[in-house]
Amino acid sequence: MAVPKRKMSRSNTHSRRAQWKATPPTLVKTMEGGKVVYSLPHRAKVVTDSTGTPMFMEYKGRKVADI
Amino acid sequence: MPKPTKGPRLGGGPAHERLMLANLAAALFTHKSIKTTETRAKRLRPLAERMVQFAKRGDLHARRRVLATITDKTVVHELFTVIAPQVNERQGGYTRITKLGFRKGDNASMVQMELVLEPLVPKVKRSKTATVAATPVGSENVVVEDVVADDVVVDETVVAEDVVAEDVVAEDAAADEADKK
Repeated sequence: MAVPKRKMSRSNTHSRRAQWKATPPTLVKTMEGGKVVYSLPHRAKVVTDSTGTPMFMEYKGRKVADI
Repeated sequence: MPKPTKGPRLGGGPAHERLMLANLAAALFTHKSIKTTETRAKRLRPLAERMVQFAKRGDLHARRRVLATITDKTVVHELFTVIAPQVNERQGGYTRITKLGFRKGDNASMVQMELVLEPLVPKVKRSKTATVAATPVGSENVVVEDVVADDVVVDETVVAEDVVAEDVVAEDAAADEADKK
């Protein structure tokens, strides 16, 4: 089995890890009932009732799936 | 004719993929709507739509060709007797894929794939008169924009026009918001 000959330096470890970055998702901004909502483009949205319980998923005003 | 897929097969091999897609198609025709991953749905679409076309043809040869993939006779019977008449007017696009979200375990994109069984609503073709009527409205908008551009240069002689133009712009913005709602 291949084994590392030398200890990986802290600098090299940190350099490698510094390249791992998160990218912000691209969101679309819509107005729903007087509130600004950010959502993923071309994805169905979860519709909730007044208490915040999820009911079903909706896309372009059409119910597409249950939860 | 579906375009042959490039790249690796789904599942463990060609046979696995054939079986998986056949089972997915059977599930789609039984339940009319299934939840699956985006990759599988995209592979299934040409296969399922081809089967619907066979069902629309409706003869014994077509039925046997579908039975070569879906071996369950009850499902095929349902496809030929129930689904085929409902999509008879449609000239393609028998399935609809709606993206839902991402699966928790592996972050796979999940979709809801369904048969389009609603009665066909023909799209209203824009006649020439409609386009002619639409173009002057567009040109008016262009003029308004020009006036707004003049505002930036601070042309004091067109103050009255400025107010009108701003009103129009505000109305446009309100209309856009209403559309979004």
